[in-house]
Parts: sequence; C-alpha cells; structure tokens
Amino acid sequence: MSLLSANGLTKIYDHHTAVNDVSFQFGAGKCIALIGPNGAGKTTTLRMLSGLIKPTSGTIHYAAKKKNADIRGLIGYLPQHPVFFKWMSGKEFLMYAGRLAHLSKEEAHKRSEQLLDRVGLSDAANKKIGKYSGGMKQRLGIAQALIHQPKLLMLDEPVSSLDPIGRREILTLLEELKQEITVLFSTHILSDADEVSDELLLLHEGSIVESGSMSDLREKYQTAKIELGFEGDLIPYREKINSLDSVTNVCLDRSVLHVTVHDIDTARDAILAAASTERWPITSFSVSRTSLEDMFMKAVNN
Amino acid sequence: MQWWVLFQKELVENSRNMKWVWVPLIMILIAVIDPLTNYYLPQIIEATGGLPDGTQIQLPEYQPSDVVMMSLGQFSTVGVAVIALISMGTIAGERKSGVSELVLVKPVSYGNYITAKWASNALLVLVSFALGMLASWYYINLLFGELSFGALLQVLVFYGLWYLLVVSLSIFYNTIFKIPGLIAFLTIATVGLISIVTSIFSHVLAWSPSRISTYIQQMIITERVPYDLTWAAIVAGIMIVLLLIASVMIFRKKEMAD
Repeated sequence: MSLLSANGLTKIYDHHTAVNDVSFQFGAGKCIALIGPNGAGKTTTLRMLSGLIKPTSGTIHYAAKKKNADIRGLIGYLPQHPVFFKWMSGKEFLMYAGRLAHLSKEEAHKRSEQLLDRVGLSDAANKKIGKYSGGMKQRLGIAQALIHQPKLLMLDEPVSSLDPIGRREILTLLEELKQEITVLFSTHILSDADEVSDELLLLHEGSIVESGSMSDLREKYQTAKIELGFEGDLIPYREKINSLDSVTNVCLDRSVLHVTVHDIDTARDAILAAASTERWPITSFSVSRTSLEDMFMKAVNN
Repeated sequence: MQWWVLFQKELVENSRNMKWVWVPLIMILIAVIDPLTNYYLPQIIEATGGLPDGTQIQLPEYQPSDVVMMSLGQFSTVGVAVIALISMGTIAGERKSGVSELVLVKPVSYGNYITAKWASNALLVLVSFALGMLASWYYINLLFGELSFGALLQVLVFYGLWYLLVVSLSIFYNTIFKIPGLIAFLTIATVGLISIVTSIFSHVLAWSPSRISTYIQQMIITERVPYDLTWAAIVAGIMIVLLLIASVMIFRKKEMAD
C-alpha cells in the first residue's frame, strides 16, 4: 500500500506550466529524493503535496488520511527558505507550531524539548530566532516539521543554502530520520540525493523524466568508462582506441580521453596491450562508473 | 484550543514590539489634544506674544458634548490612520515574509486564523481608544463641566463599533493584498469614501455607520439614545460580520505560497 499517490498533477501559472502531468507514488518508510535543476517544478510539486497551493488538475491521495481529516496533520513541511517569527525563541516557536497542530500544552512542551535535543538546539532553546545562524534555522525548521509526529516529512532543498558543516549536519540528521519516518526531499545537488535516498524522482521542465530506486537507475544508465591521460598530442590515439574491441565511443577533453566501453575487462586488456606494444606515453589510466550527473543528463536527453 | 493559541501569539507579539505601549499613548494624545488647546487658548495666545491692544476675541463656551466631539473629531481622522497603520501588515506582512508558509502548513483553520487576527487587533484598538476617551473624560469633568460615566460608556460602545468596522476593513484588505502600504491606503480611502457618500446622500443614508459620531453628540445633549443611532450601530454590526465572512472565504481560496 502506498503512503502517497499523486495522479496527473499539473500546475499552470498564467501562461507558464510549472508542473505538467506528474504522477508517482511511494510507500511508507522510504526516503525519496526529488531531483531536478532549478525551475524544474520541485518546489511547486512539494507545495501542492503539502496543501499550500492547489493543483490546476490532478489528484493527491494520502492512504493514512481519514475521511474529512486535514491532510496537513499528516505532513511535516519545511520550505526552501523558512522564515520564523524573529521575536520568538526557538522553543517558543516549536511550542507554537505544536499547539497549532492540536497538541496539548504538556505534549507540545515535551515534544519541543525532545526535538530541540534531537536537532542539537538545546543550548539555543531560549535564544531569539533572529539571532540564529542559517544552519540553526534549518535545524529548527526540521524540528517544527516533526513536532506533531507526521507520517511524511517533506523538505524543500534542505541543504542547498548551507555551508559544508551545516550540510553535513542536516544530511546526518536525515540519515537518522529516514529510519523512523517517510522522507521526501528535493535537491539539485545530486550527490546529496545519492547519499541518503532510496528512490529518485527526476524532474525536468515540470515533468518526471525518470524514477526508480537508486540501484535500478544505476543498472539502467550505468556504463563503464575509462579515462586515459597522455603526454603530448593525443589525437593520433583517438582513432586507434576507437577501433579496439568493446569500445563504443571516445571523446576528447583537454588532455584526457574518455573511452566509453561495453565490457570493462575486454576493453582494458585491449587498451593495455596496445599501449605496451606501441609504447604509448600514458600518464594516467583510470576506470570509472557513470555518476549521477551523467545519469541525469542522459535521462533528460532521452 | 487552536484559536486561543493564535490569539495569544498576537498578544505576545504586540507587547514585544511595544504596540501595547505606543498605541494607547498615541490614542490618549489624540483624545486630549483638542480639548486642552481649546481650553488654554487664551494663555497660549498670551504666551506667544498676545494680540494687538484693543482686539476683542470671543471664545465660545464649550459644553461637555462639544468637547467629546473634539476628541471624536481627532479619532475619526488621525485615529483611523493609526488603526490602518498598526493593522496593515497583520496578515499581509506574514504572507510577504513567508512565515505564513510555516504557520498555514500546520492544520490551522483559516476561520481561526482570520478571526484571531481580527480579535487581537480589535482588542488593541478598543483598549487604546477607551484609555484615550477616559483621559478626555477626565479633562472634561475637570475643565468644562460634568459628563456622566454612563454617557462615557455609551460613547465607548457606539464609537467602538465604528472602530471595529475600520479594523474589519483592514483585515478584509489584508486577505486580498500582500502590500501593507496599499492596505493602509485602501482602509483610509474606504473610510473616507463612506463619509463622503454619507454626507452627500445624508437624507437616505441616515443609518450609515459614519454618522455614528454625529448621533453621539445628540445622545449626550438629549441624554437619550437616538433611534437612528441604534440602527446605524446595527448596520455597522452587520457590515463587520459580512466583512469577516468575506475575509475568511477569500482567504480560503488564496494560494498560501507563490
């Protein structure tokens, strides 16, 4: 049973289609990354799922939603640039958020203390939010999203605006959180998605161009690549390598030849054999797998 | 209770940003400035050099009802501007800054959100207005003549309704627009328009809420609540309810992020 299913979600602003006929579903307990370049429709999609904006057409179905219940009670949401009341302290804001989600005063108090501890803000609990750093605000944002124990945590670009330390903190927190709750987060930094998510939704110009689990996508788009560095002119070697067994494509990039191959073992043997008999001036030789970036570019171009 | 949580937050916010200090102070100033300058006019003229010898000036004898009208005169101009300014960003500001995105993604009822905003602004305005009138009442009894406490209460109730209507107008525009300055302008412009239309068509618009202050003068002099005042108050009440219903309905249709 899927936790959330979206069918034909579309959002049209005046003459611009931000999200176009997007359908997907995912089960509970997963960590899903919504990937795409800026302007792909990630924020619009998350806002529709959170109920902040209404889809022009399409439906969203939450399995856990009871009849007539407010879906916002099931969701914890962190916008891309969370803005708080500067005059409140971190703890006051958590209490406020909790009470708005119908927690009793005692529950809200208890949850606030727990979450402040959890996100490492206990020491700053009574400090005014106006004095928080970017990373602290992001952590407070995650805490307020979790205050009412939602079924689904949605985070819009949770790490994009942070410095490396802040990024690391949030990614570690996500890593822990995904053990307990379904997480859907958007990002344009592919390595972050690679690091924490189980499933990917690739969004491009408002449409989903690819989706699936990390390993499925790897299998589908993975091709091996050999990178060769040469001393001096490498143009003559380009043709030679292209005619070797199992090589599908060779392209030139400054002083490195990128060789795409079918079978890594055959190609490696062939190249090394040719290199030793003809005494090629090789400076470097490395085997690499296609990165998420390459995968993304391929999916977009298809 | 969610409504109470929203309302309480507004109260705390308005006390931390000092609105609970300066709004009452400014309302007191508005209320007493005209009565005091009129009373002390001879001394003021004397102190600023006096008039040429032989000039005769006749200062009117002010009745308590005239002095109440001086205070209300200031309340209906400067006071309305103050209300427009303090309430112009109450919802629009939160939407503009983006903090409403965090608040309204929680299961918050829009009706609760709007009415809590309305109630907290109304409370601040009414308490400040009452303090202002209390100060005015003190000087009236001290300097001009007796005005009963009962009469003061009647002034507070009827003129308070007019002020509630101004607050409701501001909340209404707050749900439509996101620019606080525009909301203040529209609130003041609407109040002005109601007054102008009422004075042009005064014979048919006897129950227009903007005539409340005129009837208040009658009420103090005759010591009876005029028939038209009761109806003007009822019309004001109906307009307030309609504005609030419209505000909630408009807000429900709004997109809470853009």
